[in-house]
Amino acid sequence: MIPPEYTTHGEREQQPIARPPFNEWHSPNGCLWAQFYRDAAGYLLRFPRLADFEVSADGKHVQGWAASGVQPGTMQHLYLNQAMPLALSRQGKLVLHASAVEVDRAAIAFVGASGQGKSTLAASFATNGARFLTDDGLYLEASTSELVAYPSHPSLRLWQDSELAVLGQHAATSAPVQYTNKERFLAGPRIAFCDEPRPLRRVYFLGAGTAQCVAIRRIRPAAALLELVRNSFLLDIGEQEMLASHFAAISDLAERLTNYQLDYPRRYDDLHVVRDTIIRHARMLDSAA
Amino acid sequence: MTLPTMIVIAPDVMTRKVGDETVILHLGDGSYYGLDVIGTRIWTLLAEGRPPVDVCEAIVAEYEVTRSRAEQDLEALLNELLARGLVKSAA
Repeated sequence: MIPPEYTTHGEREQQPIARPPFNEWHSPNGCLWAQFYRDAAGYLLRFPRLADFEVSADGKHVQGWAASGVQPGTMQHLYLNQAMPLALSRQGKLVLHASAVEVDRAAIAFVGASGQGKSTLAASFATNGARFLTDDGLYLEASTSELVAYPSHPSLRLWQDSELAVLGQHAATSAPVQYTNKERFLAGPRIAFCDEPRPLRRVYFLGAGTAQCVAIRRIRPAAALLELVRNSFLLDIGEQEMLASHFAAISDLAERLTNYQLDYPRRYDDLHVVRDTIIRHARMLDSAA
Repeated sequence: MTLPTMIVIAPDVMTRKVGDETVILHLGDGSYYGLDVIGTRIWTLLAEGRPPVDVCEAIVAEYEVTRSRAEQDLEALLNELLARGLVKSAA
């Protein structure tokens, strides 16, 4: 993977923009989270009161400006988790809202919206003998023979309750991020990180946590395709050529993988059962293949 | 029950058959729509240029369904596809 060339310029006041955005994202509580504008050079991504990013039309260059009072750690985080995946989508790359861990030298991905437990699962694996590739923003490349999952930034973001349950006390943190109460933890001796690409073996779509015990069921390719669409980054859905190629890439992914829904009660004490079940399931399928 | 005389697939859609189901992408607004097995069969027949009346006949012949139920379900599906701009009435 060749990441975009990123330049950060320090603080800049967010001037009002007269034209309407072509797209907006809202957080689960309804607050405006991001606005997307087209401009002469490509795109302007605005995170109100946090940052502006200019992305070149080809997605190869990104420039960032922090809003007043926004710390470099927050900027870096916004870039890595939002602007960079969106820029990669302009290069025709596939980036999913997914965490991924390495089991038996292959990657297992957990796809899901924010708050569904992607990072907690990744942290649980990474502190118990496996390694994590990313806690969100999973970049994939497809060759004729295999799908390859790429590592992202070697850090994990966890809510405080997950942090205490999974990592315990005294884990090394990085600079706080101002728009979330999640803490970011750096990979290291206690949190193992896989810094090499790995073949993607399995995708699990995370359920809502309503299951009474760990439940894994196969889901149909069309349902998987729609889930992958919902959980993938695409900067400009208005550009039909890019939209069509994105659809084709996601469809290929849905067809090449056997897709499963994974649900389990969100109880920290039982995370070891979830891990063991996933590992057994993945190995069972490999041995049956 | 009135089925449209003729339906055509909208020009700005892209479809992908995955397994025995189909996902449709509306390139105009970036929305997606999933069709189950029977919906996929209906879509295939419409794409072949078959009028809805013929499509209904085919569904009655191929699946265990009464004509009135097939008409009712086909009309509901076509109305949904029309509302989403995925097909157009050519009558």
